[in-house]
Amino acid sequence: MKQLKYILLSLTLVLSMAVIAQEQPVAENAAVDELIAEEGQPNEAGLEEIGAIAENELAESSAEESVWTEVVDFFKTMGFVRVFDGKSDSGDWRQLVMLLISFFLLYLAIKKQYEPLLLLPIAFGMLLTNLPGAGMFHSELWSAFLDPESPAYHSYGAIMKEGGLLDVLYIGVKAGVYPCLIFIGVGAMTDFGPLIANPKSLVLGAAAQIGIFLTFLCANALGFTEAQAGAIGIIGGADGPTSIFLTSRLAPELLGPIAIAAYSYMALVPVIQPPIMRALTTKEERAIKMKQLRSVGKTEKIIFPIMVATIVALILPDAAPLIGCLMLGNLMKECGVVDRLSKTAQNELMNIVVIFLGLSVGATATGASFLNWQTIMILVMGIVAFACGSAGGVLLAKLMNVFSKEKINPLIGSAGVSAVPMAARVSQQVGQEENPSNFLLMHAMGPNVAGVIGSAVAAGLLLTFLG
Amino acid sequence: MILLAANWGHIWMVTLLGFGLVFVLLVLLIYVLKLFGFIMRPRVKVENPQEVHKSVGAPRKETSESITLTGNATAAIAMALHLYYNGIHDEEPTHVTIKKVERKYSPWNSKLYGMNNLHRN
Repeated sequence: MKQLKYILLSLTLVLSMAVIAQEQPVAENAAVDELIAEEGQPNEAGLEEIGAIAENELAESSAEESVWTEVVDFFKTMGFVRVFDGKSDSGDWRQLVMLLISFFLLYLAIKKQYEPLLLLPIAFGMLLTNLPGAGMFHSELWSAFLDPESPAYHSYGAIMKEGGLLDVLYIGVKAGVYPCLIFIGVGAMTDFGPLIANPKSLVLGAAAQIGIFLTFLCANALGFTEAQAGAIGIIGGADGPTSIFLTSRLAPELLGPIAIAAYSYMALVPVIQPPIMRALTTKEERAIKMKQLRSVGKTEKIIFPIMVATIVALILPDAAPLIGCLMLGNLMKECGVVDRLSKTAQNELMNIVVIFLGLSVGATATGASFLNWQTIMILVMGIVAFACGSAGGVLLAKLMNVFSKEKINPLIGSAGVSAVPMAARVSQQVGQEENPSNFLLMHAMGPNVAGVIGSAVAAGLLLTFLG
Repeated sequence: MILLAANWGHIWMVTLLGFGLVFVLLVLLIYVLKLFGFIMRPRVKVENPQEVHKSVGAPRKETSESITLTGNATAAIAMALHLYYNGIHDEEPTHVTIKKVERKYSPWNSKLYGMNNLHRN
């Protein structure tokens, strides 16, 4: 109760200062007015006397006024005042709403631990960019960057000169550097063994990409441009870095909502996928036990990344940055001669880039760009994309069972949406609900890593067609 | 109006060609991986019993790929396979975990009170 009293008192103080700051005080020479009122209109001598008095008064009052002006100016710089002053260029109610959203995302990241590694920096980036007057991110600079008629068109120099901290960090997103660096780390942490042992997994990884293309169709029908629709569709790939990479190229204006949708839904994989998996499979199908995977030799694991990078990059050059970096990281891990590089890619490099990427992506979520109907439509279509991708993988696994002698548990199909390794864990959990002695984790890892390759290939294709 | 304004021919082309190409590329990778697996698979030479019978008395050809198992090892493998295929292996806890085992202090694993330290003192 006592604390509440202090909080109310301080709020009242700040609000009253805000009101005072808006009402410019007009300095009046009260002493001269009083003299005139007492002695009537002055003669020449009187005028000199009044002049002297007025000068003294003015000097005193200007000293008082300059202190007062300083105080008022200081209060005018405060974020609280900027929000209430009604000028949309300095701050408005939308920023307050965005601050509340950022608090909610921070809560989800810290308390609920939903993808905290990325959600926390994204939420904090959102918090920083929506602080009125902080000037850490300038969306108008980036609008000028994209405007062919502006003198700052494609000028990183202008950004470095006039931008804030988050503008400078955002250059890495704009140039497509961070997603590729993250892919080096992802590659260094991924074991492609289950995929090499069971190459059929690649089909499941491909089938799960149907969510991307169905959402692309839906987004076009809802009035988004083709490039924007492609960027929205890639949410169905359930791959954060790929979504950011493609969106920064095709529709940078939608980067904030798309990144937040992609990472939020990745965190919600254990909630979104199980009902779809149960709805599309029978109890018997969920209980299918799969044959143990063959062991994969070191030579195979070393040649695999070199081979995949070469084949994919030769067929689809636009996918080369993502696939190339993914396979570079994996080669560093598997070859065993650059342990230091591999460990750096897995830990230090990955962590540093995640901080930069999260902060700068969160910074793009300004009130004006985030609080609109487009964002709501993107969030809805993101969940449709995710659901379609999961369903596509499960249905194709069922279809494969019709033609194949060796039965596949259809639950591993849903792991074809990337979301490594969360989607594979979900397959394992749902499978164990039917048969506790069934271990699907390694079988599901095959489609899971195939999904990473599949979504990178889909991103390359969309970039080729729409970029 | 929005639906009419969009270039649906191009949109359908991107959708069908895009999804088709993802499939084709990954199916191509399947065949490459299968070929790759065929080339790299470990080769275990299983001798034909008739050929073994014919070559009794002839000196045994030693190759690096042949595997010699002792009777005990063969029995252990057979037992494991029998348990696995008949589902009579012990019930596993079915929990996958990466929790580290906490090692509590004990004078028996103490380095401070080890024999070597006592000797030095």
